[in-house]
Amino acid sequence: MEAKPVRSTAEIRLRRFVIEADEASAMAKDWGVATAAELLPLLVPAAQRLARPPISNYHVGAVGLGSSGRIYLGVNLEFPGLPLHHSVHAEQFLVTNAAAHGETAIRCIAVSAAPCGHCRQFLQEIRGAAEIRILVTSDGNPSAFRPLSDFLPHPFGPPDLLHKDRPLLLEPHDNEVRLLEPKTAGEFCNGDGEGVEDRLRRAAESAARAAHAPYSGCPAGFAVADGEGRVHAGSYEESAAYNPSLGPVQAAMVAYVAAHGDAGEQRGRGWEIVAAALVEKEAAAVSHEATARIFLAAVAPRAHLRVYRFRSS
Amino acid sequence: MAGKPARSTGGRFVIEAEEVKAMAKEAGVSAVRDLLPLLVPDAKRLARPPISHYHVAAVGLGARGRIYVGVNLEFPGLPLNHSVHAEQFLVANAAAHGESSILCFAVSSFPCGHCRQFLQEIRGAEEIEILVTADADPAFRPLASLLPHHFGPYDLLHKGAPRLLEPHHNELGAVEAAKDNGTAGERLERRLREAAEGAARASHAPYSGCPSGLAVADGRGRVYAGSYVESAAYNPSLGPVQAAMIACLAVGGGEGESESGEYWDVAEAVLVEKEAAAVSQEATARIFLEAVAPSAHLKVYRFRSSAIV
Repeated sequence: MEAKPVRSTAEIRLRRFVIEADEASAMAKDWGVATAAELLPLLVPAAQRLARPPISNYHVGAVGLGSSGRIYLGVNLEFPGLPLHHSVHAEQFLVTNAAAHGETAIRCIAVSAAPCGHCRQFLQEIRGAAEIRILVTSDGNPSAFRPLSDFLPHPFGPPDLLHKDRPLLLEPHDNEVRLLEPKTAGEFCNGDGEGVEDRLRRAAESAARAAHAPYSGCPAGFAVADGEGRVHAGSYEESAAYNPSLGPVQAAMVAYVAAHGDAGEQRGRGWEIVAAALVEKEAAAVSHEATARIFLAAVAPRAHLRVYRFRSS
Repeated sequence: MAGKPARSTGGRFVIEAEEVKAMAKEAGVSAVRDLLPLLVPDAKRLARPPISHYHVAAVGLGARGRIYVGVNLEFPGLPLNHSVHAEQFLVANAAAHGESSILCFAVSSFPCGHCRQFLQEIRGAEEIEILVTADADPAFRPLASLLPHHFGPYDLLHKGAPRLLEPHHNELGAVEAAKDNGTAGERLERRLREAAEGAARASHAPYSGCPSGLAVADGRGRVYAGSYVESAAYNPSLGPVQAAMIACLAVGGGEGESESGEYWDVAEAVLVEKEAAAVSQEATARIFLEAVAPSAHLKVYRFRSSAIV
């Protein structure tokens, strides 16, 4: 009888940031693990390879299992030229990725390094956060899943500030967003240009409707168009502790990276953003416009940004 | 501690060791650290959170017996990562006064994860003792119990690299010199530049290698400066503008309980940072001042190279 060749999970190459439930089951079977949860740590090295941290060169990969059975990837992103609060952590990427795919709960997460306090705080925005199970692959073999409450005892979070019936992160939001400006795009009337501007506006508006901003009451959405005319949008995700909030620009960059997958050449060329749209509240207590301009100036200086505002009811 | 009346710092953000001992005696506490929770309720008044109206105060004890107060600050019109947490204020306040370590502090609510992470920049952070006055049964507990299985400077820096509150002597190389023909405006600019440069030299920025400092002058020509403080986890870093606002309040004194935002009396500002920095503060400093002190004028001086010491 032939000996089964030893396979290394280092050979796993992931191209996409979402693995559907049936594919996850098949992979688990293929790798000889009983559950999708046990598959997560095996996928962490592959996720790490997709990270984009040009400042630190410290790659972090996070792989999470949603209640839908889908697996989501998260990686860290860094943006040279900007203050460090523009960075996206792998755990934030994972949650934002899941939210964008309509996932309603994260059951467990395997991550390459212990989540920092900023992420342990950000994760509190999810209902039942205390019970999310976390496995740190750098802990050595074998490593166990432990509840988030072990990592952040005595947490501060939404229950301290919100009524329990308010929707939390990953739960459906439908903020009232009625744009003030006329809905048609603008001065230019050539076919492609008008199409992209309209699609950007609609995507940013939809993202603003879905945004989680119960503390400031200032939901916002951001959308970017890449070199191929595809639109990627993200919703502002607020944290009860304020500073760990994920800006709408960062959320859109998560969507951009998740859509491009393992486009190696893409990484070499940098961020190909040609146009962007921001939807936010008029005279907002928390406004993203100026920061979005700073971001684009550093990351995609030729991208044109349009800002659409809505009034609160 | 039950039944001991609350005490006041009289609006001050620093209390010298001798006075601390006297206050402790008067309050009838045997250990100086038991004075800290008594000071928290009154200190909350000094917070400036016009967005949340959620006041937080932290009162800490330094190695040589000084007490430092920290409060939360919020800045309407800006993204929430411009906010300053009370624990960050406390540490930056201590740093601005040359404090070498924080032994313990009392705070009005449990530190959030962002702060538990920020505090890791201090050597021996695990042993900082923290009491939460809102706790059912308040008692001092080590930071290690609030952030088990931590991540921090110990994972990224070598042991000898200076941590937050330890002396930093960043070498800035050549900084553009300001003109000084002796006019009052130019004298003020030179004082601002020197203060910002000093703050950049003292800045804790071992991860990016991009130290920076920002100095502000108020309407009366008083100058306050703050150093950029970096976190190993990146996002919890404290910007130089925020550090300068802390100095404004903590060194200048916190008169009144205004939350109106116009209270930030900034007429001029100078930022010193690295040329073509991987982590640049200029644009962000400008949008901060536009939101908080729109008539303030910001000048930026850049240095070519730096050696982090």
